[in-house]
Amino acid sequence: MKGADVFYGDAQAVWDVSLYVDEGTIVALLGANGAGKTTLLKTISGIIHPKKGEILFSKRSLAHLRPQEVVDIGISHVPEGRRLFSQLTVLDNLRLGAYPPRARSRFAQSLERAYSLFPVLEARTGQKAGSLSGGEQQMLAIARALMAHPDLLMLDEPSLGLSPIFVRTIFELIKTLNNQKVTILLVEQNIHQALKIAHQAYVLKTGKITMNGSGDELLANQEIQKAYIGERWRNT
Amino acid sequence: MLEYLTFGLVLQLLVNGILFGTMYGIAAIGLSLIYGTMRIIFLAHGAIIVFFAYICYWLFTLLHIDPYLSLILVIPASLLLGSGFYAGLFKEAAALEDKNISLLIAVGLMYLVEQLMLVVWKANPRSISTIYTAIVFRPLGINIPFTRLIALVMAVLSAFGVLFFLKKTLIGTAVRAASEDMESATLMGINPHWVNVVAFAIGIGLGGIAGVGLATVYSFDPGYGFIFAIKALIALAFGGMGNVFGALLGGILLGLLESLSSFFIGAGWADAITYGVFLLVLTFRPQGLFGGST
Amino acid sequence: MKDKSSIILAVLVLMAFVAIPFLIDVDTSYIGFFLFLSFCYIIISQGWNLVAGYTGQISLCQNAFFGLGAYTTALIWLHDITKTGYYFDPVVMAISGLVPVILAILIGLPLLSRLRGDYFALGTLGVQFIIQVVFLKGGDFTRGADGLHLPSTVFTSMKPYYWAGLFLALFATAVIYFIIRSRIGLALRAIMEDEISAAAHGIHVLKYKIFAFAVGAFLAGISGSLFAYYLFHINPDSVLNLNWLFYPILICVLGGNGTIVGPIIGSFFITALFSLGIVYMAQTHPIVSGVLIILVMKFMPTGLIGLKDKILSRG
Repeated sequence: MKGADVFYGDAQAVWDVSLYVDEGTIVALLGANGAGKTTLLKTISGIIHPKKGEILFSKRSLAHLRPQEVVDIGISHVPEGRRLFSQLTVLDNLRLGAYPPRARSRFAQSLERAYSLFPVLEARTGQKAGSLSGGEQQMLAIARALMAHPDLLMLDEPSLGLSPIFVRTIFELIKTLNNQKVTILLVEQNIHQALKIAHQAYVLKTGKITMNGSGDELLANQEIQKAYIGERWRNT
Repeated sequence: MLEYLTFGLVLQLLVNGILFGTMYGIAAIGLSLIYGTMRIIFLAHGAIIVFFAYICYWLFTLLHIDPYLSLILVIPASLLLGSGFYAGLFKEAAALEDKNISLLIAVGLMYLVEQLMLVVWKANPRSISTIYTAIVFRPLGINIPFTRLIALVMAVLSAFGVLFFLKKTLIGTAVRAASEDMESATLMGINPHWVNVVAFAIGIGLGGIAGVGLATVYSFDPGYGFIFAIKALIALAFGGMGNVFGALLGGILLGLLESLSSFFIGAGWADAITYGVFLLVLTFRPQGLFGGST
Repeated sequence: MKDKSSIILAVLVLMAFVAIPFLIDVDTSYIGFFLFLSFCYIIISQGWNLVAGYTGQISLCQNAFFGLGAYTTALIWLHDITKTGYYFDPVVMAISGLVPVILAILIGLPLLSRLRGDYFALGTLGVQFIIQVVFLKGGDFTRGADGLHLPSTVFTSMKPYYWAGLFLALFATAVIYFIIRSRIGLALRAIMEDEISAAAHGIHVLKYKIFAFAVGAFLAGISGSLFAYYLFHINPDSVLNLNWLFYPILICVLGGNGTIVGPIIGSFFITALFSLGIVYMAQTHPIVSGVLIILVMKFMPTGLIGLKDKILSRG
């Protein structure tokens, strides 16, 4: 499996963006609110279609597929704000995660794996998803996406609104998953943590890529440091 | 008049209301399914229910098929018809942002079906009489017509059936998920068209059952479809979207309201009162009396 | 929006209409009635158009407003309230327009403030029930199902109907035209596009929605009044008739939702269809209407006008 290329020129939100994600790596996509990060993810997962450009995954073009087909190819998207089915139980949410044919046969195993990664979900399996705490919901959202056995997992701001402990947990989780051969495309506002674990990173500003490099390179970068200090300041 | 007011009388009114109300209830459940996934208010439902009532009538009159037995034919036919309607009429429109287009298609369909029935089957009211339509049970001195009781049973069974489908099957769960958040559902690999077709087909299927119920209980004519649709929608508003038993209860509530206001205030006014209550509910509790997701 | 050539076209068309009664004998030829009916439909459709085409709210109670207008006119006439005894008394018609407005505001306040598009449509459906009950149960005042009979006509000719109809159709179109072109029209369109952002820009959404709804009701009422003068025998069946509910919708949809000329073209087309239908396909023409709505919505949601635009832009 080769990595994914994303070229795109869309007059609306994103201009001529080229993004490469190599197999087995963690790629971080950073930028302020409204920069277009979510739009990019939505384009890959098929909710939006690019006006121009191509999206390739293992040499297959994604540009005109519908979301349900994209999932079946092996790309799972955990949307911003989690978007769980709050009226359905934890178990139901997980069952739906394994909806695509490629995952259905492995449902039992996937469920086991989900429970072992997130014991709290097993404990709350019969509860309505809406009744879980923020951190638990995020775990459920990720677990649900994992049920589809994705090769590429896209996470949109997983740490949003979570307490620092949970944030650390989430990032450790991301690393663990990566170790288990899941490629990760991570959109984040939490610059520091994201860059620490990322192999590659891109910075998006009002729809255009302004910087890219390895995680360490960017960590050392002046501008990033300024933004990071601002963030640390805000977090204290 | 009040001197005639006995406990038995009130009980009879209540029973009448409940019995008839369940029919509004089944219709409301169907509407709820369709609205949940496609977000359109399927105004044509009433006309479709009357259509199936006619089918039941003709199956009985021409082929001497017992109305309850005819369910065996009617249910699959209605499921097919539902899928057909979706595929032919609503599929593209359902994906559009502007729900008004779907609404207008439903309006067109309603008009079409109603007028078609009027032309083909004429306006005189029909009803079915079989050996058992005249049977009336009289527990505690209250009249419970056999057919109405069966209609109640059908309604409750259907409600359970739908609930089972929604809660226990994978597709049913997908329908619930799509009703809540269609976009997220597609991210799970759920195909929105499938979910819509299933919801629509079942919705119409329930319409078929309601039609048979109607045929056995009441006399009907083509014009009744419009009124029935409005009442089903009112029942739905009472019960709240997204809640199967809520819809059924909403129907019962409507039945009770009609029964009581017909008696105490007068048959003509019942409708106006119903509408008034409807307006109140919509204004102050749009999610219905029994909640559920908005 | 209107450039020189459109204005010239409009004036020419208007002149043609004015000329018709002098060219054709409107009393005996069916065309007189046809045009009159078209005018009635134009009036009520323009009203519906404002609410649905320009504000995006589908209302399903225009026939109730129409019926109210008709009954108001009949009642005023019968009880000789204005003591004028004319036909087409503007005061009477104005009142017939205003009574539905009152209802519109009463119903509109709760419905429009709380309900989105489809729920709103649902809410308006029930208005008929109330109006029907009022008419049927109004006792001696409204004479129930039999309805009211106006004294038979002073006019034996179609001509006054024609002129009144033409004038009112023009009036209705002008009203809509000026509203659209004003700030109000801009606000309505903003509301249709994106209600939340409109509100964020300081547009008092509810006020404008109710305004549009009320204007729609007013025009429907006037149309009802006009028709009442023609019909003489007003009863729930003839004026609350579902035709008055569906045809305006079909007309606007077919002619072009959200355009000014759309309802006009649509009215003529539909009335023609309806007339031909009565003659040739007496029973089945309403079915054709239903089919038409479906077909148009599926394939031509922008209506005939939209079609014209599409053709023009290709060329």
